[in-house]
Amino acid sequence: MPTTKEALSLAVETGDLLLRNGAEVYRVEDTVMHILDAYQVENYDVYVLSNGIFASANEDRDDACSMVRHVPLGTTHLGRIAALNQLSREICAGDLPISEAWERLEACRSLPYGKNRVNVLFCGIGCSCFAYLFGGGALDAAVAFLTGMALQWLLIRQRRRKSSKFLKNILGSALVTLLALLALSAGLPVHYDKIIIGSIMPLVPGMAFTTSIRDFFNGDYLSGAIHMIDAVLTAFCIAVGVDTVITLYRFLMGGVLL
Amino acid sequence: MIALQFFVSMIASLSFAVLFAAPKKELLLCGFTGAVTWLVYVIFTDLNTGTIVANLLATFALTVFARTAAAIRKNPVTVYLISGIFPLVPGAGIYYTSYYFIMNETALSGHYGMETVKVAGAIVLGIIFGFALPQSWFSALSHTFTRGSQL
Repeated sequence: MPTTKEALSLAVETGDLLLRNGAEVYRVEDTVMHILDAYQVENYDVYVLSNGIFASANEDRDDACSMVRHVPLGTTHLGRIAALNQLSREICAGDLPISEAWERLEACRSLPYGKNRVNVLFCGIGCSCFAYLFGGGALDAAVAFLTGMALQWLLIRQRRRKSSKFLKNILGSALVTLLALLALSAGLPVHYDKIIIGSIMPLVPGMAFTTSIRDFFNGDYLSGAIHMIDAVLTAFCIAVGVDTVITLYRFLMGGVLL
Repeated sequence: MIALQFFVSMIASLSFAVLFAAPKKELLLCGFTGAVTWLVYVIFTDLNTGTIVANLLATFALTVFARTAAAIRKNPVTVYLISGIFPLVPGAGIYYTSYYFIMNETALSGHYGMETVKVAGAIVLGIIFGFALPQSWFSALSHTFTRGSQL
């Protein structure tokens, strides 16, 4: 049987990784508790927020232990969440020795993101499909394919520089709008609004919004509020980016068009 | 026409699942989730229920479908839910609200702003209703399928 500290650090590390990759609070709390149960820790308390974990175990014994983690809101990686879910199932099902569990955890942690080229391509495809779904024509979809690829390229660069989320969203939506308006001024018969709507989809806070609702539903009001603020601010940043470029464009064109 | 919409929304959701690094085995199902969601939305919009009700029902269908898929494939619901929600998220609402705002068309901006808030509310209710169904229904499904695969 592992010591309290070993069991607790495995459990908290798993929770940390889940939270970092975009799992909702309820799942994180549940996983941490289940892992502690599986390693026969009986006395514990776990409190999870959307950007932090607080846990303590066996406070009445000599090997009492407690841990605090700060987990900044990060990028989503659904593959890691699924892998960690599988791992926690196996830990709960039988007696996976703790050293082996650590190895599996490291394997989950190092699951890679998609290759940049692949992501750029799929972002283009996704944006063009959305431009079509929201009422654009074939030409709009084609332009949205290019703007979507440009957007993902920008996002990858921003991620490398670790720049702020606000800047990322403002610059991203500004770039998309600029390209759509360029296509318009090049004389192409495009619906520039459909192109913009399709291409801002990768920035739109669908993830934060959904997680927020589920947090509220599970009674985690504070975490729900944090995610909701994140979603609203993101939407606001997108609006700022789009509006700035459109306003500048109108100014340069002498207030005509659009 | 509806077949084309189904196909395009499937590709769109699949692409976004790739961006969120969903497990490779689940990509097709993620795309399918989005397509089902969009199909429900389009059908109810055609029946003139209005966007709000269509959004509510589509989100409900999405949540139930995502939970079913999650139970059968033994994966977290998040994987399917996130991939499928994107066709409904009011990106257009955000755009038109801010666009008419800077064009000094206050009435139109307000109209689209309210519309966006209402759609967001409909999505909230859809997800809540979807999760209000007892987990035991979905767990039962999961057991049936596991037993089936062992035979």
